[in-house]
Amino acid sequence: MEALAVQILKSLVSGLLMGLVFALVALGLTVIFGVMDIVNFAHGEFLMIGMYTTLLTSPLLGVDPVLTLPLCVLVGAVLGLLCYHGLIRFLLRGPMIAQLFGTFGLMLFLRNMALLVMGSEPRIIHAGWLVGKSFAVGPNVVLESTKLAAAVLSVVSFLVIWWLINRTKVGRALTATSLDAEGARYMGISTERMNALAWAVGGASVAVAGGLLVNFWPVEPGVGLLFTMIAFATVALGGFGSVRGAFVAGIIIGLIVNVPPVWDALLRTIDAVGLKNLEIHSLKYTMVYAIYFLIMVIRPQGLFGWKQ
Amino acid sequence: MEAIRNAFDFTDLPRGEMIIAALALLFLLLFPVLPHSSFAMATMIQFLMFSLYGMGWNLIGGYGGQVDLGKAQYVGIGAYTTALLMIRLDVPFWYSLPVGLALAVIWSFIIGYPLFRLKGHYFAIATIATSLVLKDIFEVWNFVGGARGLEIPLKGNLPNWLYLQFKQDYYYFYVLLAMFLVGLIYVNGFRHSRLGFQLRAIKDNENVARSLGIDAHWCKIKAYATATAFVAAVGSFHACYNFNIEPEDVMSLDLSVLIALMAMLGGAGSMWGPIIGAAILVPMKSYLGDWLGGKAGMAGMDLLLYGAIIMFIAAVQPRGVYGIVEALRARRRR
Amino acid sequence: MALLEVNQVSKHFGGLVANQEVSFALEQHEMLGLIGPNGAGKTTLFNCIAGFYPVTSGRIIFDGRDITALRDYQTARLGLARTFQIFQASGDLKVLENVMVGSFLRTGSRRKARQTAEGCLDFLGIRAAAGAMMADLPVAAQKRVALATALASDPKLMLLDEVGAGLNKSEIEGLVALLRRIHSERGIALLLTEHVLEMVMALSHRVIVLESGRKIAEGEPAAVVKDPEVIRAYLGDHYIRRRQETKDA
Repeated sequence: MEALAVQILKSLVSGLLMGLVFALVALGLTVIFGVMDIVNFAHGEFLMIGMYTTLLTSPLLGVDPVLTLPLCVLVGAVLGLLCYHGLIRFLLRGPMIAQLFGTFGLMLFLRNMALLVMGSEPRIIHAGWLVGKSFAVGPNVVLESTKLAAAVLSVVSFLVIWWLINRTKVGRALTATSLDAEGARYMGISTERMNALAWAVGGASVAVAGGLLVNFWPVEPGVGLLFTMIAFATVALGGFGSVRGAFVAGIIIGLIVNVPPVWDALLRTIDAVGLKNLEIHSLKYTMVYAIYFLIMVIRPQGLFGWKQ
Repeated sequence: MEAIRNAFDFTDLPRGEMIIAALALLFLLLFPVLPHSSFAMATMIQFLMFSLYGMGWNLIGGYGGQVDLGKAQYVGIGAYTTALLMIRLDVPFWYSLPVGLALAVIWSFIIGYPLFRLKGHYFAIATIATSLVLKDIFEVWNFVGGARGLEIPLKGNLPNWLYLQFKQDYYYFYVLLAMFLVGLIYVNGFRHSRLGFQLRAIKDNENVARSLGIDAHWCKIKAYATATAFVAAVGSFHACYNFNIEPEDVMSLDLSVLIALMAMLGGAGSMWGPIIGAAILVPMKSYLGDWLGGKAGMAGMDLLLYGAIIMFIAAVQPRGVYGIVEALRARRRR
Repeated sequence: MALLEVNQVSKHFGGLVANQEVSFALEQHEMLGLIGPNGAGKTTLFNCIAGFYPVTSGRIIFDGRDITALRDYQTARLGLARTFQIFQASGDLKVLENVMVGSFLRTGSRRKARQTAEGCLDFLGIRAAAGAMMADLPVAAQKRVALATALASDPKLMLLDEVGAGLNKSEIEGLVALLRRIHSERGIALLLTEHVLEMVMALSHRVIVLESGRKIAEGEPAAVVKDPEVIRAYLGDHYIRRRQETKDA
């Protein structure tokens, strides 16, 4: 019984930490969607590029992986701007289907560019301030410092974005654009600039998430899809365009994804009694997709959504 | 009766199109007789399969404007039904085909009912989600072979028409060509039908369509189910043609997107669009893959170019190749 | 028996009251105008009648049937054709095909749908545009196509939302003549909203005046325009006061 309690506690803690990372991944998507109603299929690929940025520049510059995060911000922002000016601007003129395929093409392009340059084998950071360190917060409950740092920085990033949107002039212009692009234009706000800014902010935040993630999650060119789907589910749950929603929904999804280990422990207890074990936890991420579908059908506006 | 007449009525198409279509049909009929490599034959079969996938997708995605990125789940249902029935119960292809079709269509109604409460991006992403859920379940479900999939054993002497097992590819080619022609005629009838008109009106403006007595939700579900039937039929064929199916192969997101992509590249919402799209992308994909994939350090180059082409088309001419043809024709008229 | 009976219909959006206990009846073959200043709740009332919005309270009877709970496509099937104020013509349907969508409501046959549609295009004098794309037509012709499409669905009552908007004087005159013919030759009742009065006044047998979601007057056009309530609604209090002052002086 005590083993089960510990298992549950462990799941809750790791679910919370992962959830904060998911929230950070989804943040960029929700910012972009909020401002311009476009869904970026290449979102996970931005994350992947952030991961490679840290992986490659850390040994190159001879600094700790954590110190490469500003570089991730830069790379992500530049990437976002490039995508906006090189592609998204043109897609906006066309129908929705063109937007979907355009960003899907971007996804294929970036993923295979990575494959071409980096090869297909998964890589991970082996050394650094965070890697391999952990500390116990209770009997048998251990916090990995990589995940803890990622979670903390996620919270910080959210605070920065929240401040940017709610407390600065640029942020208010962003909000105005997202509420009513036409109206904003009449007010003298350059929606073109706001869109570009949203892509820069979105790209930067997801690239930072990548830089943090690579400390404990191996990177390979195809890593993006899973995170794109997780980000979609998170944004759907939180409400498309809602920053606060993305934060809460990220945590919820993180917890849900980490529930199966709890079931697993439960099943193992049952197993000891002599019943058959089922393989539930291999369906961990399937639940993310199912959640997305269910949320959209039952409550399309999400928890805090204001766009639909 | 009138439905049949409509299906064979091609008179509203420009004469130039009919001449090209007739020449293309002649080429398809004669292709196995002409000198060709087995690689070319395999590519041709892929072309026909993707044309049919695209034609099906086009019913809901093109005419109805509902971007469906989850068609692969129905390919999977068709393929797995045929394979399972053949392996476990020894059921021939021609009997399992309608069973797979029926199962896929029933599933499409179950999924479609909640799915079409969503619109736009939300709908598109939800279709992906449903397809991935089914794929993931198949990957851990031992009854259907899990991630390793199923292997269909040889049934008696070849050629075996009942089980659709042949040694030479041209048998498969002609079976598929027959399916292709049936599909084409069906689509032609669909385009003239009440449902076809109503769907196009929904795509145009859903509120106006509803004010004209069209139950948009139900129309979309019907078109979705029809599209599913196309895709599931080809899925059944795929199982027999490949002798081997696995979730990654018949249910992946890549397949779903490829289906939609071909139709869009050729021209969504036009009858020839999916065929044009498949005629361009399938050979390009297989020859590029063959050429570049073989070279060291070039893995991914083909898909990279693919992505670039998709981005270019989406940004420059979202109505696809057929859209370019139509624009040129309109300019000539002026 | 009245063709359309609107009984104490209210429509609230959250705290916003768009319609408050509006009641009126539209007789068989009547041309009824629904007027009122911008934001009076005319389009909302239309949307409630057509089933586009569910009503908050009240009842709507059409042709002897309670249609309060019916959806928009269901009311259309009963013979209630509604046109839209803003008509977006973006799609890839040609004019004839567009009108056929309307006639497909009553038949499953393409041949019959086509015949009906061509008849409607003839009736509205736009047969020549049958093969054109909607987007290539001038606004006046687009409105006629929308009318033809509604007509092709064989309605008993047409709800016309601001059909005159965006048209010049001579185009409006043409439209008035056309609507008269739709009414007299096809025997279709009309309910029109318009915030530009000249068209409604020329056509309507009776008018209903809405202000801030409430009905403030009802009667023959000539009588209604003299009603001080109506003048106040359109021109504001200060106008009435000034008139009062000039009278007193």
